[in-house]
Amino acid sequence: MRELVGRLAALDPDASAAVQVIAYFDRLAEGRAGLEATVRGVAVLAGCAARLIDEERGVFLRVLADGHRDDHPDDADSDDWPRKRSGDVVLVLEKLGSPSPVDLMVLERGVALARDVLDRTRGRAPDPALVELVVDASAGETARLHAAKRLRLGDRARAIALPDGVVLVEPHGEARHPLGSVRAGVGPFVPVGRLPKSYADAKVALRFADDVLGPRVVRFDELGGLAAVAAAIGPGAAPSPDVVTVGGLPAWALETLHAVVTSTSLRTAATHLTLHHSTLVDRLTRAEQLLGWEVRGPEGRFRLQLAFALRRLHAHPE
Amino acid sequence: MTAVPFDPELAAALTVISQNMPSSLTPEMIPLLRQGMTTLAPAEDLTLGGIVDLTEVDLGDGVSVVVCRPVAAPTPAPVVYWIHGGGMIMGDHRVGLADPLAWAVELGMVVVSVDYRLAPEHPDPAPVEDCYRGLVWLADNAAELGVDPARIVIAGGSAGGGLAAGTALLARDRGGPALLGQLLIYPMLDERNDTVSSHQMAGLGIWDHTSNDTGWSALLGDRRGGPDVSIYASPSRATDLSGLPPAFVDVGSAETFRDEDVAYATAIWQAGGQAELHVWPGGFHGFDVMVPQAALSQRAKQARVDWLRRLLGH
Repeated sequence: MRELVGRLAALDPDASAAVQVIAYFDRLAEGRAGLEATVRGVAVLAGCAARLIDEERGVFLRVLADGHRDDHPDDADSDDWPRKRSGDVVLVLEKLGSPSPVDLMVLERGVALARDVLDRTRGRAPDPALVELVVDASAGETARLHAAKRLRLGDRARAIALPDGVVLVEPHGEARHPLGSVRAGVGPFVPVGRLPKSYADAKVALRFADDVLGPRVVRFDELGGLAAVAAAIGPGAAPSPDVVTVGGLPAWALETLHAVVTSTSLRTAATHLTLHHSTLVDRLTRAEQLLGWEVRGPEGRFRLQLAFALRRLHAHPE
Repeated sequence: MTAVPFDPELAAALTVISQNMPSSLTPEMIPLLRQGMTTLAPAEDLTLGGIVDLTEVDLGDGVSVVVCRPVAAPTPAPVVYWIHGGGMIMGDHRVGLADPLAWAVELGMVVVSVDYRLAPEHPDPAPVEDCYRGLVWLADNAAELGVDPARIVIAGGSAGGGLAAGTALLARDRGGPALLGQLLIYPMLDERNDTVSSHQMAGLGIWDHTSNDTGWSALLGDRRGGPDVSIYASPSRATDLSGLPPAFVDVGSAETFRDEDVAYATAIWQAGGQAELHVWPGGFHGFDVMVPQAALSQRAKQARVDWLRRLLGH
């Protein structure tokens, strides 16, 4: 087929080959061909290996000129290779020299189809700029509502704050983002025009999220009065003596105490720690001695819970 | 009748291919087709860059063979006896050898490809008898050729697949050379050209109902459809498929030959024989040769190598 296209190109470089390329990709689109078939078409028609990169979606796909898939190239991407971008999707031809008119046509048609396939099969990747806009309190409401519409957020949505300033948004009733692999603060569902508030709350919730002892995902709605406490613990705030004490405990004591104050009974805590009940009681007694107060009564338990919460706020001061 | 849709990747390639190869080929087109095959198909380097030794042997009476021995092949080597395609009316023994040569290099086999006489100048039984003569010659000269006469696999695509099936039936009925297996690639088996798939794909893809009429009429003339057509010319007519070597049959779901090829594999099973059948979804006739890069083509080619490997006990 490549030979056929090549021959046509030799006869009529402007018209025939271009028509063939257009027909080829149109037919692929019509048949709802997949991503690999699309990149294979590019590689075969251009007569060289082709690679498709979509960093936003974590896609890397490479097909050789003979149509075989090979995602492990020997050569790193080269600036000298011709390429074409559409949104986050980049299509690269692994060949040097200036691209022929057919190459350019193949790149243009190929990247457009690849983007369509990706949108269809993996969902439209949200534009980060739109997400930032929709939670930005300083942006005008019209712009925010427009962004919400383009993100297909419906009437009500919520913001989710992740570490390093990453923000996600999702509409009510549609969990777009699986949570639990990293710390996350989840804001309340609000009318989309009030997403900046949901984001602010999500950031507060994120401060209570903890990678080591947990919980890793914290919902603002479940914080209650603790949310008010967060405002009091800013950067540079001096930790209270209880926080200092908890921070100085050895790991076994921290684990033991945390399990006890987050479980409904000592027996549940023992199961969680995979310890025998009597072993847990021994450890707890020693931990209480290090701590300086007993945690088996309601007051001591609350005092320790508060110390854990304050400790997380100090660890994540903003 | 609703046609079977083509695989999307194959369909895209077909838009390009069909500009050079119409679906319906008629008898007047035969001279042009023969000419086209020579000019369109670039001359292949059958030595694969020097790793295959070639010997041309004239068997007389218009029949010859080319013996292709990879330099690394053992002696004695198992052998592929290859019969080319071309609708009984075109092609020769040096065209379309890329796949059998690839098997030979990968599996340490020799390829012997036969140049049989073509219809309509040489109607039935010339083509199948020529193929049988080449097979007997191969078995008789096995020692000289450095091949193992107990490990001959007969193989061919399209008309070559039909002739391979017919030659295997001849070998069985005449007590001729024993065959280790028959590799029938979308074989052309039924001169009646009246199955559902033969009508269903009319005017579509490659080698449609009209083309098939052209090929079979060239081979059989007025005898087509009558009582005087032998099972060696039209293997689908055979009522007894027992005593045949293990078969590999593949075919596209979107081609003329689908139903006759599936029926042939089924008849082999019903006769207590062994057959491996692949029906590739949305494949048109010859898809793997015309669009070798497509995902479906890669799978189809791999399936044949895998079968050969098992057959040879590698």
